[in-house]
Amino acid sequence: MMEKAEPIIEVEDMTVSRSGEKVIEDANFSVYRGDFVGVVGPNGGGKTTLIKAILGVLPRDSGSIRLFGEDIDSFESWNKVAYVSQDAVNFDQSFPLSVRELVSLGRIRKDNIGRRLTSDDWGRVEAVLKFMGISDIADKRIGQLSGGQKQRVFVAKAVVREPQILFLDEPVAGVDPETQERFYMKLSNLNSQRGVTVIDVSHDLSAVFCRMSRVICVNREVNVAEITDEEKFASALKRVYGEHFHFVFHEHMCEGLFEDV
Amino acid sequence: MFDYLLSLFGYRFFQYAIVGGSIAALTCALIGLFVILRKESMIGDGVAHISFGGIALGLFLGVNPLVMALVFSVIGVLLISYMRRRGLAQSDSAIAVMLAIGFSTGLIVISLAGGFNVELFSFLFGSILTISGFDLALIAFLGLSALLVVGVFYKELLSMTFDEEASRLMGIPVGLLSTVFNILVAVTVVLSIKVVGMILVVALLVLPGLTALQLDRPFRGTAIFSILVGVACVLSGVLVSALFDVATSGVIVFTLVAVFLFTAAYRRI
Repeated sequence: MMEKAEPIIEVEDMTVSRSGEKVIEDANFSVYRGDFVGVVGPNGGGKTTLIKAILGVLPRDSGSIRLFGEDIDSFESWNKVAYVSQDAVNFDQSFPLSVRELVSLGRIRKDNIGRRLTSDDWGRVEAVLKFMGISDIADKRIGQLSGGQKQRVFVAKAVVREPQILFLDEPVAGVDPETQERFYMKLSNLNSQRGVTVIDVSHDLSAVFCRMSRVICVNREVNVAEITDEEKFASALKRVYGEHFHFVFHEHMCEGLFEDV
Repeated sequence: MFDYLLSLFGYRFFQYAIVGGSIAALTCALIGLFVILRKESMIGDGVAHISFGGIALGLFLGVNPLVMALVFSVIGVLLISYMRRRGLAQSDSAIAVMLAIGFSTGLIVISLAGGFNVELFSFLFGSILTISGFDLALIAFLGLSALLVVGVFYKELLSMTFDEEASRLMGIPVGLLSTVFNILVAVTVVLSIKVVGMILVVALLVLPGLTALQLDRPFRGTAIFSILVGVACVLSGVLVSALFDVATSGVIVFTLVAVFLFTAAYRRI
């Protein structure tokens, strides 16, 4: 069950600049436990900057960010957080890591630094490999995988942390529609069955509309809208993409997307 | 010939060479694999040149040159880390600056001492057969300490070698561990100076890992193969050089290069 009362991300008056230019200006919003949030906006609009600023990777000009009630500048509870960056798949393709080895690195937590992974850790690694449908490639080197397989492996590395919030920056960019559908099915399961709050940067507006509960629209300014109906969703999108864009929602566009695959 | 080789094992200097060389090879092969994957191969060469200042000063002052080399190298890598962190210089530039300082210090000290001496040559080009009991104890202590640190922080080092930003967001103290790792590189280079000399030490650091990477194995397998290559080449180098009475460090590095070329060619067949 969603507990909307508990905000786990609180952003107040945040402005972020890159190379001297304001990319995010005066953002104010909250994300609540159990939310499934899509982050949308045009290219260069500041989606990745927003995520990186929330995680404290990028410095901000002003404003405050609280994650799980802790100021991001002194945030310590990294065990609750998992992040898959847009560039995760652009690794050194000759790096000698198997899928299993990479996913197991996701089990590193603040409380087990300097200790070996336990049999429980390895059990969870195997369970997540199975959950993500990548058990059969567990011994393959990560540089030998297809684009879709790489995406799943990096998401598996994030999921194996058993995070309370999962940040994904364009996790299915360039992946075929069938793989995308399976991927979002897994995400929906994580969100609805395991209560993981998901923040997903996406260009796939139909995926956002059909699967997610809220949308954060970013184009220098940041607006948050509940996804309750087409009209509200379209109105939120127009604020970032412009009034001259028309969003057409087909009656059956979400059908079949939640079938088990 | 076989009897001659067997008889060599009866001499203490040869036993020291075998044990000291194996520890240096093992440490270099493992640390070197991380160094390659971090794309920082030149830090090995940089540290070796920084240590030259320490070796010269140690010989000048009558202090064990390896101990002084260790002090110089550790200070050198800490300053390299500081320059990177403060944005004073990029990685390669920071290494170049410290390399120049260490080497020029060595040259000044040598000129003050009245020129080169034979002992300095043994550090420049290696002298595995002259490893003393103290040298061996120092090599063993440094090598086992470095291996222990890598063993304890194995998964964290692997994680930050693969992706520093992601590791930081997992709560891994990336800055601290990077500094610790650079100190390990300094330690590894210093303990290998007697084996192959400061000029060729980068070969012992980089070639075993580079050879192992040709096999496209996962990390654990790559690390094990890297260690096997390093130790086998050092041991065979010592034996071959003893048989044909040629420079041991040269034979060791030549063997490492030959094994690398063979493995690279085999992979492409």
